Amino acid sequence: MSKPIYQIVDELPTGGITVKLLQALDYVVPGQWQNIVGFDNTIRTVTGETDEGMIQKIGERAIFLYNDPNQGYQRALWIYETVGKGSGVLGAAALANKIGENISFLSFLDKITPKADKAQAIDLGVKLVAELVAFCKINGIPGDSIGDFVGSLADYSGESLMRMAALVTADALLPLGPDFIQKVESYVGGANPSELEQNGTFSQIQAEIPGSDTSSKQGFINQSWGAVADWMSSFVSSRGLTQESVVGNLKNYIDITDDRLDYVSAFLDVTTDYYQHTGVQTLARRLVERAVAEI
Amino acid sequence: MFRPKSTIILFFIAAIFMFTVAACFSNESNSRWANAQRESTSGAKPSPTLPTQQTASSNPARSSKPLPGGSFNKFFPAASDGYTTVASQEKGGFAEYKLKKDGKEMAMLSVSDTAANPEATQKFQGSARTISGYPAVEQGSTATAVLVDNRFQVKVLSRNPSFTKNDREAWLQKFNLAGIAGL
Repeated sequence: MSKPIYQIVDELPTGGITVKLLQALDYVVPGQWQNIVGFDNTIRTVTGETDEGMIQKIGERAIFLYNDPNQGYQRALWIYETVGKGSGVLGAAALANKIGENISFLSFLDKITPKADKAQAIDLGVKLVAELVAFCKINGIPGDSIGDFVGSLADYSGESLMRMAALVTADALLPLGPDFIQKVESYVGGANPSELEQNGTFSQIQAEIPGSDTSSKQGFINQSWGAVADWMSSFVSSRGLTQESVVGNLKNYIDITDDRLDYVSAFLDVTTDYYQHTGVQTLARRLVERAVAEI
Repeated sequence: MFRPKSTIILFFIAAIFMFTVAACFSNESNSRWANAQRESTSGAKPSPTLPTQQTASSNPARSSKPLPGGSFNKFFPAASDGYTTVASQEKGGFAEYKLKKDGKEMAMLSVSDTAANPEATQKFQGSARTISGYPAVEQGSTATAVLVDNRFQVKVLSRNPSFTKNDREAWLQKFNLAGIAGL
């Protein structure tokens, strides 16, 4: 058994580079994200409840639900943690690859390290699917129709919407540029199954991705990406997001000395874990929402 | 008279005491939740079944296991009066919808099967209030709930100060409570 859920929520950081990154991205989804940390505090904030006896019961029920492995919450947390860790590893590989492109005698690195764009694109596609899988682990498949389910997904707000904002900016727009949607389509769609299997995040969470083999899992990633492509495209265009505007805002919070966007992206990749941070917050919120309804 | 052995023992007792106090104060949250953690990971059933609650059902053929959350969906209220509903969660024995108005979250609507948490029925015992004929309670400062057929808890939780206790009661009456009783 890993740490108790209350301890995981209590230990969420109130500062540091991950929190700075998320604060810097507030302009993308204004007012959506507050850094809610602490188990008691999460219960109070989510429910608006002030009755101490009630807060105790909500917390106890949430702990019970989390500790039941059949409920899916532990698996969802594992996905958020694993995707966060995979991101760090990729950051290191991407940096090594950039050196390989610039310095000829190190060009042999290309043979063992995937092209940065391709690695980024695969990682992005896998991250999106991880989000979908974690959503279903936490919330089930709500409603009686596909429309209900899509409506439930479209209702992303708070820390979940912030996680998507960070995904679109730090993992998509910055490293891959404004045509990131097409890049993921072509890189993930055109990848050999072995290239997918070599992706750290994919190899770790592949058992959770629907499909009997790597090719069918690849198909699922493509389908999922296709399903959210329009949403992502309008997310970027309606907010006027550009690589320059994102970096400009980041500079207000994080000391970025290099304007080269691929380096900035790789730097964020190895130094932040926004995915896990907001993932824990999403999980805690949903647990509390269910617990207060069931007690 | 100086007795070194007693001094050493006293020193150790004091050290253990100080260590324990420090541990308690260093993580107050842990002490608040530690019992729940222990009970839910020890294999002991944390919520004992309450026989008095389980015998009063009008449907003896009903499974004693929690029903699928999806079986509750069709009994939720439809969107009306400028409100919209968004499916939020659907797990074993539980379904929940958000109630929104002008894009703002106003309340949560839920149905839960108390077979998964029998303790939840206790608060309805002795309740003189009813809503649509079912025992009803206020819970904390944000929740109103009814117990349908001694089994299914239907609850409305305010998420906005303008969504009052009266609103909660009105929305509880919009559920198809008789339909839930027939499950």
